[in-house]
Amino acid sequence: MNAIFGIFLLTLMLITAIAVVRTRNLFVATTLMGIFSLLLAANFFLLDAADVALTEAAVGAGISTVLLLSALSLTAEQEKPGHRGRLLALAVVLVTTLALLHATLDSPRLGDIDAPVHQHVAPWYIENTPTAIDVPNIVTAVLASFRGYDTLGEVFVVFTAGIGVLFLLGHYPHKQAHKPHEGLRHYLIQRLVGRTVIPFILLFGFYVQFHGDFGPGGGFQAGALVAAGIILYALIEGTDRALNIIPKWLLNGMVAGGALLYGGVGIASMLMGGNFLDYSVLSSDPVAGQHLGILLIELGVGITVTGVLLSIFFAFASRKHF
Amino acid sequence: MYIAVALALVLTMGLALIRALLGPSVYDRVLAVNMMGTKTVLLLSVITFAFGRPDFLDLALAYALINFIGVLAVLEFFRKRPELDPENNPDHNAEGAE
Repeated sequence: MNAIFGIFLLTLMLITAIAVVRTRNLFVATTLMGIFSLLLAANFFLLDAADVALTEAAVGAGISTVLLLSALSLTAEQEKPGHRGRLLALAVVLVTTLALLHATLDSPRLGDIDAPVHQHVAPWYIENTPTAIDVPNIVTAVLASFRGYDTLGEVFVVFTAGIGVLFLLGHYPHKQAHKPHEGLRHYLIQRLVGRTVIPFILLFGFYVQFHGDFGPGGGFQAGALVAAGIILYALIEGTDRALNIIPKWLLNGMVAGGALLYGGVGIASMLMGGNFLDYSVLSSDPVAGQHLGILLIELGVGITVTGVLLSIFFAFASRKHF
Repeated sequence: MYIAVALALVLTMGLALIRALLGPSVYDRVLAVNMMGTKTVLLLSVITFAFGRPDFLDLALAYALINFIGVLAVLEFFRKRPELDPENNPDHNAEGAE
Protein backbone atom coordinates (compact mmCIF):
# COMPACT_ATOMS: atom_id res chain seq x y z
CA MET A 1 0.00 0.00 0.00
CA ASN A 2 2.79 2.30 1.01
CA ALA A 3 4.62 1.55 -2.23
CA ILE A 4 1.58 2.47 -4.35
CA PHE A 5 1.31 5.88 -2.66
CA GLY A 6 5.04 6.36 -3.02
CA ILE A 7 5.01 5.56 -6.74
CA PHE A 8 2.01 7.82 -7.33
CA LEU A 9 3.59 10.75 -5.49
CA LEU A 10 6.95 10.21 -7.22
CA THR A 11 5.18 10.21 -10.61
CA LEU A 12 3.51 13.51 -9.74
CA MET A 13 6.93 14.86 -8.69
CA LEU A 14 8.46 13.78 -11.99
CA ILE A 15 5.69 15.52 -13.96
CA THR A 16 6.15 18.68 -11.87
CA ALA A 17 9.92 18.63 -12.33
CA ILE A 18 9.62 18.29 -16.11
CA ALA A 19 7.09 21.14 -16.17
CA VAL A 20 9.48 23.35 -14.13
CA VAL A 21 12.23 22.73 -16.68
CA ARG A 22 9.93 23.23 -19.67
CA THR A 23 8.25 26.48 -18.65
CA ARG A 24 9.78 29.82 -19.63
CA ASN A 25 7.68 31.76 -17.13
CA LEU A 26 9.72 32.02 -13.94
CA PHE A 27 6.72 32.78 -11.74
CA VAL A 28 5.05 29.57 -12.91
CA ALA A 29 8.28 27.73 -12.20
CA THR A 30 8.31 29.15 -8.66
CA THR A 31 4.76 28.04 -7.93
CA LEU A 32 5.47 24.60 -9.37
CA MET A 33 8.55 24.34 -7.14
CA GLY A 34 6.20 24.91 -4.18
CA ILE A 35 4.13 21.92 -5.31
CA PHE A 36 7.28 19.88 -5.85
CA SER A 37 8.36 20.60 -2.30
CA LEU A 38 4.97 19.57 -0.86
CA LEU A 39 5.05 16.28 -2.78
CA LEU A 40 8.62 15.66 -1.65
CA ALA A 41 7.66 16.19 1.98
CA ALA A 42 4.72 13.77 1.68
CA ASN A 43 7.17 11.24 0.25
CA PHE A 44 9.61 11.72 3.13
CA PHE A 45 6.72 11.20 5.47
CA LEU A 46 5.72 7.95 3.78
CA LEU A 47 9.29 6.76 4.32
CA ASP A 48 8.85 7.49 8.05
CA ALA A 49 11.45 10.27 7.96
CA ALA A 50 9.47 12.72 10.07
CA ASP A 51 12.43 14.95 10.92
CA VAL A 52 13.33 15.45 7.26
CA ALA A 53 9.70 16.03 6.32
CA LEU A 54 9.49 18.74 8.98
CA THR A 55 12.59 20.44 7.56
CA GLU A 56 11.10 20.28 4.07
CA ALA A 57 7.87 21.76 5.43
CA ALA A 58 9.57 24.74 6.98
CA VAL A 59 12.23 25.42 4.37
CA GLY A 60 10.71 24.13 1.14
CA ALA A 61 7.09 25.18 1.46
CA GLY A 62 7.60 28.42 3.36
CA ILE A 63 10.96 30.08 3.08
CA SER A 64 12.24 29.01 -0.33
CA THR A 65 9.04 30.26 -2.02
CA VAL A 66 9.54 33.64 -0.35
CA LEU A 67 13.22 33.77 -1.30
CA LEU A 68 12.57 32.72 -4.90
CA LEU A 69 9.81 35.32 -5.26
CA SER A 70 11.96 38.06 -3.76
CA ALA A 71 14.76 37.13 -6.14
CA LEU A 72 12.24 37.07 -9.00
CA SER A 73 10.99 40.55 -8.16
CA LEU A 74 14.53 41.84 -8.87
CA THR A 75 14.69 40.29 -12.30
CA ALA A 76 12.58 39.71 -15.40
CA GLU A 77 9.64 37.35 -15.42
CA GLN A 78 10.51 35.41 -18.53
CA GLU A 79 13.51 33.19 -18.80
CA LYS A 80 15.93 34.31 -21.48
CA PRO A 81 16.18 31.71 -24.21
CA GLY A 82 19.65 30.31 -24.27
CA HIS A 83 20.75 27.64 -26.71
CA ARG A 84 24.45 27.38 -26.11
CA GLY A 85 25.64 24.36 -24.19
CA ARG A 86 22.23 22.74 -23.92
CA LEU A 87 23.33 19.50 -25.56
CA LEU A 88 26.40 19.40 -23.35
CA ALA A 89 24.23 19.90 -20.26
CA LEU A 90 21.83 17.20 -21.42
CA ALA A 91 24.73 14.81 -22.00
CA VAL A 92 26.15 15.46 -18.53
CA VAL A 93 22.75 14.92 -16.93
CA LEU A 94 22.13 11.75 -18.91
CA VAL A 95 25.53 10.27 -18.02
CA THR A 96 25.02 11.13 -14.34
CA THR A 97 21.52 9.65 -14.36
CA LEU A 98 22.69 6.43 -15.96
CA ALA A 99 25.59 6.17 -13.48
CA LEU A 100 23.21 6.72 -10.55
CA LEU A 101 20.69 4.21 -11.95
CA HIS A 102 23.49 1.70 -12.33
CA ALA A 103 24.57 2.36 -8.74
CA THR A 104 21.06 1.85 -7.38
CA LEU A 105 21.01 -1.65 -8.87
CA ASP A 106 23.71 -2.63 -6.37
CA SER A 107 22.09 -0.98 -3.36
CA PRO A 108 19.93 -3.12 -1.09
CA ARG A 109 16.16 -2.91 -1.44
CA LEU A 110 14.26 -0.44 0.74
CA GLY A 111 13.72 -1.97 4.17
CA ASP A 112 15.79 -5.05 3.36
CA ILE A 113 16.75 -6.67 6.65
CA ASP A 114 20.08 -7.81 5.21
CA ALA A 115 21.13 -4.28 4.25
CA PRO A 116 24.45 -3.33 5.88
CA VAL A 117 22.86 -0.45 7.78
CA HIS A 118 20.50 -2.87 9.54
CA GLN A 119 23.31 -5.29 10.35
CA HIS A 120 25.53 -3.25 12.61
CA VAL A 121 24.91 0.53 12.40
CA ALA A 122 21.24 0.94 13.29
CA PRO A 123 21.14 -1.86 15.92
CA TRP A 124 24.09 -0.27 17.72
CA TYR A 125 22.31 3.09 17.93
CA ILE A 126 19.02 1.49 18.97
CA GLU A 127 20.80 -0.53 21.63
CA ASN A 128 23.00 2.22 23.04
CA THR A 129 20.76 5.29 22.90
CA PRO A 130 18.59 4.39 25.94
CA THR A 131 21.59 3.72 28.21
CA ALA A 132 24.04 6.36 26.98
CA ILE A 133 21.79 9.30 26.15
CA ASP A 134 18.26 8.34 27.14
CA VAL A 135 16.19 10.38 24.68
CA PRO A 136 13.19 8.82 22.92
CA ASN A 137 14.02 10.30 19.50
CA ILE A 138 17.01 8.29 18.32
CA VAL A 139 17.44 10.62 15.33
CA THR A 140 18.23 13.46 17.73
CA ALA A 141 20.64 11.26 19.69
CA VAL A 142 22.49 10.27 16.52
CA LEU A 143 22.47 13.77 15.05
CA ALA A 144 23.42 15.72 18.13
CA SER A 145 25.60 13.39 20.14
CA PHE A 146 26.86 10.26 18.40
CA ARG A 147 27.55 12.15 15.17
CA GLY A 148 28.01 15.57 16.72
CA TYR A 149 31.07 16.25 14.54
CA ASP A 150 29.00 15.88 11.36
CA THR A 151 26.34 18.22 12.67
CA LEU A 152 29.02 20.74 13.65
CA GLY A 153 30.19 20.52 10.05
CA GLU A 154 26.65 21.09 8.79
CA VAL A 155 26.26 24.16 10.99
CA PHE A 156 29.47 25.58 9.61
CA VAL A 157 28.25 24.84 6.07
CA VAL A 158 25.10 26.88 6.82
CA PHE A 159 27.27 29.58 8.41
CA THR A 160 29.60 29.69 5.40
CA ALA A 161 26.70 29.75 2.94
CA GLY A 162 25.14 32.66 4.85
CA ILE A 163 28.41 34.59 4.80
CA GLY A 164 28.77 33.90 1.09
CA VAL A 165 25.31 35.27 0.29
CA LEU A 166 25.89 38.31 2.50
CA PHE A 167 29.16 39.06 0.70
CA LEU A 168 27.24 39.21 -2.58
CA LEU A 169 24.03 40.90 -1.41
CA GLY A 170 24.64 42.16 2.10
CA HIS A 171 25.54 45.78 1.39
CA TYR A 172 22.07 47.17 1.44
CA PRO A 173 21.64 50.78 2.56
CA HIS A 174 20.68 51.07 6.18
CA LYS A 175 18.56 54.18 5.89
CA GLN A 176 16.75 53.93 2.61
CA ALA A 177 16.25 57.00 0.48
CA HIS A 178 13.14 55.63 -1.17
CA LYS A 179 9.88 55.44 0.69
CA PRO A 180 9.80 52.85 3.46
CA HIS A 181 8.56 49.43 2.63
CA GLU A 182 5.00 49.14 3.88
CA GLY A 183 4.29 45.49 3.36
CA LEU A 184 0.70 44.30 3.36
CA ARG A 185 -0.36 46.14 6.49
CA HIS A 186 -3.17 47.99 4.71
CA TYR A 187 -4.85 44.74 3.72
CA LEU A 188 -7.23 43.83 6.51
CA ILE A 189 -7.61 40.08 6.08
CA GLN A 190 -3.93 39.40 5.53
CA ARG A 191 -2.98 41.56 8.50
CA LEU A 192 -5.47 39.98 10.88
CA VAL A 193 -4.76 36.40 9.86
CA GLY A 194 -1.03 37.04 9.87
CA ARG A 195 -1.03 38.63 13.31
CA THR A 196 -3.02 35.68 14.63
CA VAL A 197 -0.76 33.09 13.06
CA ILE A 198 2.66 34.59 13.90
CA PRO A 199 2.60 33.82 17.67
CA PHE A 200 1.59 30.23 16.94
CA ILE A 201 4.39 29.79 14.39
CA LEU A 202 6.93 31.14 16.90
CA LEU A 203 5.50 29.00 19.70
CA PHE A 204 5.59 25.95 17.46
CA GLY A 205 9.18 26.81 16.53
CA PHE A 206 10.24 26.89 20.18
CA TYR A 207 8.29 23.68 20.81
CA VAL A 208 10.17 21.96 17.98
CA GLN A 209 13.44 23.39 19.33
CA PHE A 210 13.09 22.16 22.89
CA HIS A 211 10.97 19.08 22.22
CA GLY A 212 13.36 17.69 19.61
CA ASP A 213 14.65 15.05 22.03
CA PHE A 214 11.16 13.56 22.30
CA GLY A 215 9.46 14.10 18.93
CA PRO A 216 10.36 15.03 15.39
CA GLY A 217 12.39 18.18 15.17
CA GLY A 218 15.44 19.96 16.47
CA GLY A 219 17.52 23.02 15.82
CA PHE A 220 17.40 23.02 12.03
CA GLN A 221 13.62 22.75 11.84
CA ALA A 222 13.07 25.18 14.70
CA GLY A 223 15.43 27.72 13.17
CA ALA A 224 13.54 27.57 9.87
CA LEU A 225 10.16 27.86 11.62
CA VAL A 226 11.16 30.87 13.73
CA ALA A 227 12.66 32.50 10.65
CA ALA A 228 9.41 31.80 8.78
CA GLY A 229 7.42 33.52 11.54
CA ILE A 230 9.60 36.63 11.40
CA ILE A 231 9.51 36.65 7.58
CA LEU A 232 5.71 36.58 7.83
CA TYR A 233 5.92 39.62 10.11
CA ALA A 234 8.18 41.35 7.59
CA LEU A 235 5.73 40.59 4.77
CA ILE A 236 2.81 42.05 6.70
CA GLU A 237 4.39 45.00 8.46
CA GLY A 238 7.17 45.78 6.01
CA THR A 239 10.87 44.99 6.18
CA ASP A 240 11.71 48.29 7.85
CA ARG A 241 9.65 47.51 10.94
CA ALA A 242 11.00 43.98 11.01
CA LEU A 243 14.56 45.32 10.83
CA ASN A 244 13.76 47.60 13.76
CA ILE A 245 12.87 44.56 15.85
CA ILE A 246 15.76 42.43 14.68
CA PRO A 247 18.50 44.83 13.64
CA LYS A 248 21.32 43.79 11.38
CA TRP A 249 23.94 43.62 14.13
CA LEU A 250 21.75 41.15 16.02
CA LEU A 251 21.38 39.00 12.90
CA ASN A 252 25.14 38.99 12.35
CA GLY A 253 25.60 38.08 15.99
CA MET A 254 23.12 35.22 15.64
CA VAL A 255 24.82 33.88 12.50
CA ALA A 256 28.18 33.74 14.26
CA GLY A 257 26.95 33.18 17.81
CA GLY A 258 25.09 29.92 17.17
CA ALA A 259 28.08 28.31 15.49
CA LEU A 260 30.26 29.68 18.29
CA LEU A 261 27.96 28.20 20.95
CA TYR A 262 28.17 24.79 19.26
CA GLY A 263 31.97 24.94 19.08
CA GLY A 264 32.10 26.35 22.61
CA VAL A 265 30.25 23.32 24.00
CA GLY A 266 32.90 21.15 22.33
CA ILE A 267 35.74 23.20 23.85
CA ALA A 268 34.04 23.20 27.24
CA SER A 269 33.77 19.43 27.24
CA MET A 270 37.49 19.27 26.36
CA LEU A 271 38.37 21.62 29.24
CA MET A 272 36.33 19.49 31.63
CA GLY A 273 38.37 16.45 30.80
CA GLY A 274 36.46 14.73 28.00
CA ASN A 275 36.86 14.54 24.25
CA PHE A 276 35.70 17.29 21.89
CA LEU A 277 31.86 17.26 21.88
CA ASP A 278 31.72 14.48 24.49
CA TYR A 279 28.88 15.91 26.58
CA SER A 280 29.03 13.25 29.30
CA VAL A 281 31.54 15.29 31.30
CA LEU A 282 29.40 18.45 31.34
CA SER A 283 27.53 17.26 34.42
CA SER A 284 28.30 14.90 37.27
CA ASP A 285 25.79 12.42 35.81
CA PRO A 286 26.81 11.39 32.25
CA VAL A 287 23.21 11.10 31.00
CA ALA A 288 22.32 14.53 32.40
CA GLY A 289 25.48 15.87 30.78
CA GLN A 290 24.33 14.44 27.43
CA HIS A 291 20.93 16.10 27.83
CA LEU A 292 22.56 19.45 28.64
CA GLY A 293 24.98 19.16 25.72
CA ILE A 294 22.22 18.26 23.24
CA LEU A 295 20.07 21.14 24.47
CA LEU A 296 22.92 23.62 24.06
CA ILE A 297 24.10 22.51 20.65
CA GLU A 298 20.53 22.33 19.30
CA LEU A 299 20.13 25.89 20.54
CA GLY A 300 23.29 26.84 18.68
CA VAL A 301 22.01 25.19 15.50
CA GLY A 302 18.65 26.95 15.81
CA ILE A 303 20.22 30.39 16.36
CA THR A 304 22.56 30.06 13.38
CA VAL A 305 19.84 28.76 11.04
CA THR A 306 17.43 31.55 12.04
CA GLY A 307 20.16 34.15 11.63
CA VAL A 308 21.29 32.92 8.22
CA LEU A 309 17.78 32.55 6.77
CA LEU A 310 16.71 35.99 8.01
CA SER A 311 19.92 37.61 6.79
CA ILE A 312 19.38 36.16 3.31
CA PHE A 313 15.74 37.27 3.31
CA PHE A 314 16.55 40.83 4.39
CA ALA A 315 19.42 41.01 1.91
CA PHE A 316 16.92 40.31 -0.88
CA ALA A 317 14.03 42.25 0.58
CA SER A 318 15.97 45.45 1.25
CA ARG A 319 16.95 45.81 -2.38
CA LYS A 320 15.19 48.27 -4.63
CA HIS A 321 12.06 46.41 -5.67
CA PHE A 322 11.02 43.98 -3.01
CA MET B 1 -11.04 3.27 5.73
CA TYR B 2 -7.96 5.47 6.10
CA ILE B 3 -6.60 4.02 2.89
CA ALA B 4 -9.72 5.03 0.95
CA VAL B 5 -9.48 8.58 2.30
CA ALA B 6 -5.77 8.74 1.49
CA LEU B 7 -6.43 7.51 -2.04
CA ALA B 8 -9.10 10.14 -2.56
CA LEU B 9 -6.72 12.81 -1.28
CA VAL B 10 -3.91 11.68 -3.55
CA LEU B 11 -6.28 11.78 -6.53
CA THR B 12 -7.32 15.31 -5.57
CA MET B 13 -3.64 16.26 -5.44
CA GLY B 14 -3.29 14.91 -8.95
CA LEU B 15 -6.23 17.04 -10.13
CA ALA B 16 -4.75 20.13 -8.44
CA LEU B 17 -1.45 19.43 -10.16
CA ILE B 18 -3.19 19.24 -13.54
CA ARG B 19 -4.73 22.65 -12.90
CA ALA B 20 -1.34 24.05 -11.87
CA LEU B 21 0.24 22.73 -15.05
CA LEU B 22 -2.49 23.88 -17.42
CA GLY B 23 -3.06 27.29 -15.89
CA PRO B 24 -3.91 29.33 -17.85
CA SER B 25 -3.99 32.33 -15.52
CA VAL B 26 -1.74 33.02 -12.57
CA TYR B 27 -4.66 32.75 -10.18
CA ASP B 28 -5.38 29.18 -11.27
CA ARG B 29 -1.85 28.25 -10.40
CA VAL B 30 -1.78 30.06 -7.07
CA LEU B 31 -5.05 28.43 -6.08
CA ALA B 32 -3.73 25.05 -7.22
CA VAL B 33 -0.64 25.46 -5.03
CA ASN B 34 -2.80 26.50 -2.11
CA MET B 35 -5.06 23.49 -2.60
CA MET B 36 -2.03 21.25 -2.89
CA GLY B 37 -0.85 22.56 0.48
CA THR B 38 -4.20 21.90 2.12
CA LYS B 39 -4.36 18.40 0.66
CA THR B 40 -0.84 17.70 1.90
CA VAL B 41 -1.87 18.68 5.42
CA LEU B 42 -4.86 16.33 5.20
CA LEU B 43 -2.84 13.52 3.64
CA LEU B 44 -0.21 13.73 6.40
CA SER B 45 -2.92 13.67 9.07
CA VAL B 46 -4.59 10.63 7.51
CA ILE B 47 -1.28 8.81 7.13
CA THR B 48 -0.35 9.42 10.78
CA PHE B 49 -3.54 7.68 11.87
CA ALA B 50 -3.25 4.94 9.23
CA PHE B 51 0.25 4.16 10.52
CA GLY B 52 -0.85 4.49 14.14
CA ARG B 53 1.68 7.28 14.83
CA PRO B 54 -0.53 10.19 15.91
CA ASP B 55 2.50 11.91 17.49
CA PHE B 56 3.62 12.78 13.96
CA LEU B 57 0.58 15.05 13.68
CA ASP B 58 3.03 17.84 14.56
CA LEU B 59 4.07 17.87 10.95
CA ALA B 60 0.62 18.51 9.60
CA LEU B 61 0.39 21.38 12.10
CA ALA B 62 3.65 22.86 10.83
CA TYR B 63 2.35 22.68 7.25
CA ALA B 64 -0.93 24.31 8.12
CA LEU B 65 0.94 27.22 9.71
CA ILE B 66 3.58 27.63 7.03
CA ASN B 67 1.27 27.42 3.99
CA PHE B 68 0.00 30.91 4.65
CA ILE B 69 3.44 32.49 4.14
CA GLY B 70 3.74 31.40 0.52
CA VAL B 71 0.37 32.94 -0.38
CA LEU B 72 1.34 36.22 1.28
CA ALA B 73 4.64 36.23 -0.61
CA VAL B 74 2.72 35.87 -3.89
CA LEU B 75 0.44 38.77 -2.93
CA GLU B 76 3.40 40.94 -2.01
CA PHE B 77 5.10 40.01 -5.27
CA PHE B 78 2.15 41.23 -7.34
CA ARG B 79 1.78 44.35 -5.21
CA LYS B 80 5.39 45.22 -6.01
CA ARG B 81 5.23 44.28 -9.66
CA PRO B 82 1.69 45.24 -10.72
CA GLU B 83 2.74 45.15 -14.38
CA LEU B 84 3.01 41.38 -14.07
CA ASP B 85 -0.52 41.04 -12.76
CA PRO B 86 -2.60 39.72 -15.67
CA GLU B 87 -5.59 41.72 -14.50
CA ASN B 88 -3.77 45.03 -14.98
CA ASN B 89 -2.28 43.93 -18.25
CA PRO B 90 -4.65 41.92 -20.43
CA ASP B 91 -2.01 41.42 -23.14
CA HIS B 92 0.19 39.67 -20.70
CA ASN B 93 -0.73 36.06 -20.82
CA ALA B 94 1.10 33.89 -18.32
CA GLU B 95 1.60 30.88 -20.46
CA GLY B 96 3.39 28.05 -18.89
CA ALA B 97 4.04 24.42 -19.19
CA GLU B 98 2.81 23.75 -22.67
